[in-house]
Amino acid sequence: MPDRPILVAVVLAAALAISGWRFYRVFRPVLSAPGEYRFDELWERFVGVLSNVGLHKRLLKIRYSGVLHALIFSSFIVLFTAILQAFGSGLFPGFSLAPIGGNTWIAGAQELFTVLILIGLGMALYQRVVIKPKRFEGSNKLDALLIYALVFGVVATMTLEFAFHIAAGDDSSAAWRPIAATIAGWLTAAGFSGESAEAGATFFYWAHILVILGFLIYIPGSKHRHMFTAVPNIFLRSMKPKGTLPKADLDHPPIGVQEIGQFHWKHKLDMLSCTECGRCQAACPAYAAGQPLSPKKLIMDLRDHMVAVDHGHSDGVVDLVGGVISEQTLWACTTCRACMEVCPIHIEHVPKIVEMRRTMVEDGRVSPLLQDALGKLQQYGNSFGKPPRQRAKWTKELSFKIKDARKEPVDILWFVGDYASYDPRVQRITVKVAETLNAAGVDFGILMDGEQNSGNDVRRVGEEGLFETLAQSNIDAIAACDFKRIVTTDPHSLNALRQEYGAFGGDFEVLHYTQLLDELIGQGRLKLARGEGATVTYHDPCYLGRYNGGFDAPRNLIAKAGYTLHEMGRCRENSFCCGAGGGRIWQDEEGITERPSENRIKEALGLGDATLFVVACPKDTVMYTAAVQNLGVEDRITVRDVIDLIEVAQA
Amino acid sequence: MRVVVVLRLVPDLTEELEIDESGTDIDREWIGIKLNEFDDHALEEAVLLKEGSGATVTALALDGEGVDRMLQSAIARGADAAVKVEHGMEHIPDQRTAAAILAGAIKELGADLILTGVQTPEDVFGQLAPFLAAHLDMPTVNAVGGVSADGDNAVDVRQEYSGGMSAILGVTLPAVLGIQTASQPPRYVSGSKLRQAMSAEIATLSGADAGAATGAEITGLQEPERGDGATMFDGDAETVAGKIVDVLNERGLLGG
Ligand code: SF4
Ligand code: SF4
Repeated sequence: MPDRPILVAVVLAAALAISGWRFYRVFRPVLSAPGEYRFDELWERFVGVLSNVGLHKRLLKIRYSGVLHALIFSSFIVLFTAILQAFGSGLFPGFSLAPIGGNTWIAGAQELFTVLILIGLGMALYQRVVIKPKRFEGSNKLDALLIYALVFGVVATMTLEFAFHIAAGDDSSAAWRPIAATIAGWLTAAGFSGESAEAGATFFYWAHILVILGFLIYIPGSKHRHMFTAVPNIFLRSMKPKGTLPKADLDHPPIGVQEIGQFHWKHKLDMLSCTECGRCQAACPAYAAGQPLSPKKLIMDLRDHMVAVDHGHSDGVVDLVGGVISEQTLWACTTCRACMEVCPIHIEHVPKIVEMRRTMVEDGRVSPLLQDALGKLQQYGNSFGKPPRQRAKWTKELSFKIKDARKEPVDILWFVGDYASYDPRVQRITVKVAETLNAAGVDFGILMDGEQNSGNDVRRVGEEGLFETLAQSNIDAIAACDFKRIVTTDPHSLNALRQEYGAFGGDFEVLHYTQLLDELIGQGRLKLARGEGATVTYHDPCYLGRYNGGFDAPRNLIAKAGYTLHEMGRCRENSFCCGAGGGRIWQDEEGITERPSENRIKEALGLGDATLFVVACPKDTVMYTAAVQNLGVEDRITVRDVIDLIEVAQA
Repeated sequence: MRVVVVLRLVPDLTEELEIDESGTDIDREWIGIKLNEFDDHALEEAVLLKEGSGATVTALALDGEGVDRMLQSAIARGADAAVKVEHGMEHIPDQRTAAAILAGAIKELGADLILTGVQTPEDVFGQLAPFLAAHLDMPTVNAVGGVSADGDNAVDVRQEYSGGMSAILGVTLPAVLGIQTASQPPRYVSGSKLRQAMSAEIATLSGADAGAATGAEITGLQEPERGDGATMFDGDAETVAGKIVDVLNERGLLGG
């Protein structure tokens, strides 16, 4: 029989070759993908890795899972020393970690983390088999169980090897290994000693090595690739502002992604890194509504398709858009970003969805309702199909004459937005914002019929050409005015103006009206009469909160107006979308089993004491008012915009 | 097969229409204009013919404000060429005069099949197709709901009759068809295609001088009179909705 070092070297080389080949086969599509620059802001990237991997920032948002992951993760790092020892000593006789504490504190740490990893594995198994969170629906359970078994195998063989060594009396770390020593006691009692114990140690040494190598060979085809890809995937995450979508080159079609190969390398790395944890799925309003969209399944399906295409067995001619990923799936997304906010490894779902939507739009594959809305936007610059001249009609209700910002300089340019301008259910709110600004002595004006839809949702629907047309028209109109800052009542417009227009030459300072009012109160320019102090709850609009960080101003206003805020469980970053975003408001409701807006109202009712459901987005007013009516709970809760709570103190 | 599709811009009916000083026309000073809906279907049918049987499609219109853009959109939709006809008239002429000028242009272009919308809000008689046919000495079918090529020299057209019947007529080319609906609803043309078509070239033909307008003359225009039989509700959406509910309640038409 050849020497152990030669055998270990041969087995190791073979396993590395097989594993390496398997990794290469899986990662090949990434290597040949279109480029994308992700090497700026290196320090920020590094800090993100520290907090997301080192501190488990996102993972710990689900306490149980986060803790078990932390246990297994930290144990892997510590037990890596044992793996090092096993291969080191196998390849180079005499190699030992003893000089740096291999037989003392490192041995002790290995023992401790053996216990911790077993606890972690137990928790994982319990979660997978008994708790069965809904977010695991659709994940590969067998894969998960196999991995638990392999990890258990690694730890068990290691401990048994040590135990046999101790039983053979040749392990000087025995004092630091209480568990192995205990087992050794049983082994001795069972008659193992001297040579038989040595043989046992050799057996478990090989078992240990083989399980580790088996693990290494298994991993490239498993979701546990994330052991290797999570860190780079987080490091290479998008550092662009959250509300900025990638541009499409309109002059060089094709626009959008038709085939899997057109996704850039980071999108592909995302696909290969997904851990199937389902946190995105649990947060997704479309999934909760019974729509055929799970952000997790989306990523998994893209991944499987990518690998299949690369391996040449893509089952003939299945199209990506409309085939692998169905049209209903793509249209179901509200672009609320909840998935991206919770994904522990920063996978970017929304840009992928929008890229595929672009393909559908370019092909004219849009539903009749959406076509109608987009057609109206093309013709009139608003989705209501109303003449531009009627955009400022709501100003007739004002007690003062509003300035035309195109004709005279203003301090604040108010970009009103479609819903706030045209929808009779929202105009009341728009008027009140105007009156409040006027009462505070703000010098402001609007663009009148010079304003068009901001294009935020148009872009998210995948209609890039129309978006650019709208954006350019607005940028030109705004740039021709004399003003200092822009304010908007509509979070969707806020996002477009603040985060999207920059790339088209429109760099403006843009505020949400709640921020401006908060500021005015702070400066003493606006004094409020305190309200009757009802208990209210507040819904964070996706495009004000998650996308633009506008969490505090509305809450400050609610407090300053004298109301008590009772938060819903899903608040701030974890807010639950009303279901209208990303162009959903222009689509039909086919396939929806529970409207997200009604789900949300039920959550608010569950608080027990909130009588007002406060919002800060015109679309929310529309969506939630309808939801309250549909649920027939008008007597229990009323939808109000923040501005409705604001009463200016009479001087 | 050479298909010419005649397109017209019409006043946008979502706007509030007003009668101008002359009392014989609407005030067109501020009114929005858009492609006539039936012409939109005619264009779609032409592009479907192109896709189905390799026809070439030329979009044709009388020159005027907004016509360039309309013709460019036709190219974005799939027309191969766009032509506008100069006519030296201040206003859009009536359909009979229009037909005379357009027919001259069509002769110049050469066409096997001429499609246009069955009517416009300003031409409820649907005169353009028959007038064109007369000028061109071709057969015509109006109110067509779908065209399919039958070889190179004939088409089958579908015409809907009352009572849910529809007839298939075989028409020998050349012919003029007034389209009511295309075989498929007009497709969505993306903004990127529209932007690309913005630079598309539009050929110009000078129309034959049609002389003075020869069509029917409008002697007066008025808003519809409110009949006594109907009650009209004024006010904003909420008020109107409230009044409707009241009426339903009064008549005992609400459940409960
Ligand atoms: S953006 Fe929102 S709706 Fe779209 S997949 Fe993510 S969670 Fe679901
Ligand atoms: S995309 Fe992210 S959150 Fe969703 S399953 Fe994969 S790793 Fe988990």
